[in-house]
Amino acid sequence: METIITYNAVHHAAWGTPITVYFWLVGASAGSFVLSAFGWVFGIKRYKPLALTASILAIVMLMIVPVLLIWDLGKPFRFIYLMLPGYWHGTAPMSWGTLLILSYPISMFVYTYFVIKNDQKWAKIVGIIAIVLALSTHWYTGVVMELNPGRYLNHTPLAPLLFLTGAFISGIGLMILVLWIQNQFTRPEKRIKWELMEEMAQYMMYGIVFDFFLLFLDFMQTQYGTASEYLAHGTVLMEIFFTPYIWLEVVIGLLIPLILLVTPLKHTRIGVYGAAFLVAVGVYGMRIWWVMGGQYIQSFY
Amino acid sequence: MTTESKQTSPAHALREYGSQTPGTKGIPGKRRYSMVIDLRKCIGCMSCVVACKAEYGVPLGVWRTWVMVADKGRYPNSRRIFMPRLCNHCDYPICVRNCPTQATFKHEEGFVLQRYNRCIGCRTCVVACPYNARHFLPAKRTNNNLPVLVVDKCTFCIHRVKKGLVPACVQACVGGARIFGDVNDPKSEVAKLVAREKLTVLKPELGTSPSVYYIGGDWEIMDEPHNYKHRTAQQKEEFNTYKRNHHGDAFGDIVEGENTMYHVGKNMSDFLASIPHKFFDVVAALKKLLFA
Ligand code: SF4
Ligand code: SF4
Repeated sequence: METIITYNAVHHAAWGTPITVYFWLVGASAGSFVLSAFGWVFGIKRYKPLALTASILAIVMLMIVPVLLIWDLGKPFRFIYLMLPGYWHGTAPMSWGTLLILSYPISMFVYTYFVIKNDQKWAKIVGIIAIVLALSTHWYTGVVMELNPGRYLNHTPLAPLLFLTGAFISGIGLMILVLWIQNQFTRPEKRIKWELMEEMAQYMMYGIVFDFFLLFLDFMQTQYGTASEYLAHGTVLMEIFFTPYIWLEVVIGLLIPLILLVTPLKHTRIGVYGAAFLVAVGVYGMRIWWVMGGQYIQSFY
Repeated sequence: MTTESKQTSPAHALREYGSQTPGTKGIPGKRRYSMVIDLRKCIGCMSCVVACKAEYGVPLGVWRTWVMVADKGRYPNSRRIFMPRLCNHCDYPICVRNCPTQATFKHEEGFVLQRYNRCIGCRTCVVACPYNARHFLPAKRTNNNLPVLVVDKCTFCIHRVKKGLVPACVQACVGGARIFGDVNDPKSEVAKLVAREKLTVLKPELGTSPSVYYIGGDWEIMDEPHNYKHRTAQQKEEFNTYKRNHHGDAFGDIVEGENTMYHVGKNMSDFLASIPHKFFDVVAALKKLLFA
C-alpha cells in the first residue's frame, strides 16, 4: 500500500547565497595564496614576481568574507561571542572556523610584509604558517556542512578535498586573469612572462582532472548509497540543481577548460585566459549545489 | 559516563562529546523526560499545534510542533494516518554539539533548550538538526518583548513541567495520544509504555537517540526519501509557494521548476535588503553598551 503525504510543515533552507559566495571567496583566496607561496616558500624562483600580486589578491578576497558572514548572522553585533571564552564551543566546527578566519589574514599580512621587505628567511617561515592556515581555512568550509550526518549530500569525507581542489583551480584561474590585467598596465620588462601563465594553466589542468575524479567518486557513492544519498544526487542535483551542477560546474567550469587545456589551444591566449575565466566562474556552481542542494530535500521532511 | 548508561545505549556511548551534558537515558537517580506518541490514538485534530502556537506565540510559517498527514492505500481501501512532529530532545543532540556559542544546550533532565541572549542567529543548529525541529524567528513580531532573529525550538514546555504540569500539546491532545513523563522512573506511564510497546523513533541510524517515541509508526511516513518522493501535487505547490514567497533573512530557498540561478540571485538581494535593519540593531546594541 502506498502512502501519499497530504500535509506536512515546510521549512526554509537556513543558509543561502552569502554562504556560497563566502565559500567561493575563501577558496579563491587560498588558491591564489598557494601560488604566492610557490616562490617564497617552495623556492621556485620564477614565481617570485607574482607573489605580491597573489597575496594582495588573497587578502582582498578575504576582506569581503567577514562582511558576508557577520551580516548573515541574525544578530551581527554578537559575532564577538564566537571568540569569547565561556561562549566558545570546542566541538562546533564553526568555532574552529572562527579561529582560522581570524588567524589566516593576520598571517597573510605578516607574510606580505616580509615579501615587500624582501626578507627571504622570515617570508618563508611565516609563509609556511600562512599556507597551513590557508588550506585549513578552506578545509573548514568543506567540513562545516560535512559534519552534519543528517545532510546526506554533504556528509562525505570527500568534502574537504572537493573544496580544496576547487580552491586550487579557481585561485589559479583568478590569478591568471589578474596577472593579465596587471600586464596591461606595466612596462614590458616588468610583465609576467607568458611561459609562466602557460605553466600555471597546466597546473590548473591537473587540478581539473583531479576534480573530475572526485566528482566521479561522489557520483558512485551516491548511486550505490542509501536511499537518501541516491535521492540527493539523482533528484536534487540532477533535476533541481541541474544548472549549477551540470552546466556551471561540470560543463563551464571543468569540461570546456579541460578541452581548452589539452588541445593545442593551450598555447594560445584564448585557450589560457578563456580556461582561467571559465574555471573561476564554474567553481561557484559547486558552492551553490553544495550549500543549497544539501539543504533542499530535508526542508520538506 | 557511567557503566549503566553504557549498557543502556552502547551504540551511542561515544557520542556525548559536545553535548555538554552526558546522555541521561537509563541512568538511575536521574530524570529523563521523554514523550511517547501513540499514533493509534491520534485523530489529526491539530489541537496540539494550536496549543503550542498559543503558548508561545509561535510566528506564522514556523512550527515548534506540527502534525504530518498521509493517505495510505487507494480508495476504497484507504486510510488517513497522522504523525505529530516536534524536537526529539535527543540524548546526543547534533544541534548542541555544533552550536558555536553554546546558546543551545542540554539540560540534565533531558530538555534541549535555547538561550536567546547567547544565540547569534548563525543557524548552524538548524542545518545540524536532522529533524527540522528548529526555526529562525522573523525580524518583526507582534509582541515586542519576544525574541527576534534568533533560533527557536520546542522546549518540552520546561516552564510548565517545572510546575508539575504536562507540556501544552500533551494537555491539549484530545485523543490522549501524547504521553509525557520521566522515562527513568519505572512507575511513570512513559516508562511502562517504553517497556511494553513496540516503539520506533525517527532516523535512529543517526545516533541522536531521540526521546520522542512513536507507537504504531508507519515506515513510509517516517522515511525522508519516501516523503519527498510521494507528495500530492497540492503539497508540492504549497512547498514551492512557501519557498517563493519567503521574505525572511538570507534563506537559501530554491523553487522547483523555476530558474535556480534566479533564486540564487534573489537570495542575495534578500540578504542585502536585510542589512539596513540589522545595522540599526547593531547601532542600538552599541548605544545600550555605551550609554545604558
Ligand atoms: S531534534 Fe533536532 S533540535 Fe531537537 S535535540 Fe535533536 S538535533 Fe536538536
Ligand atoms: S543559531 Fe544560535 S543556537 Fe543555533 S548554532 Fe547559532 S548560535 Fe547556536
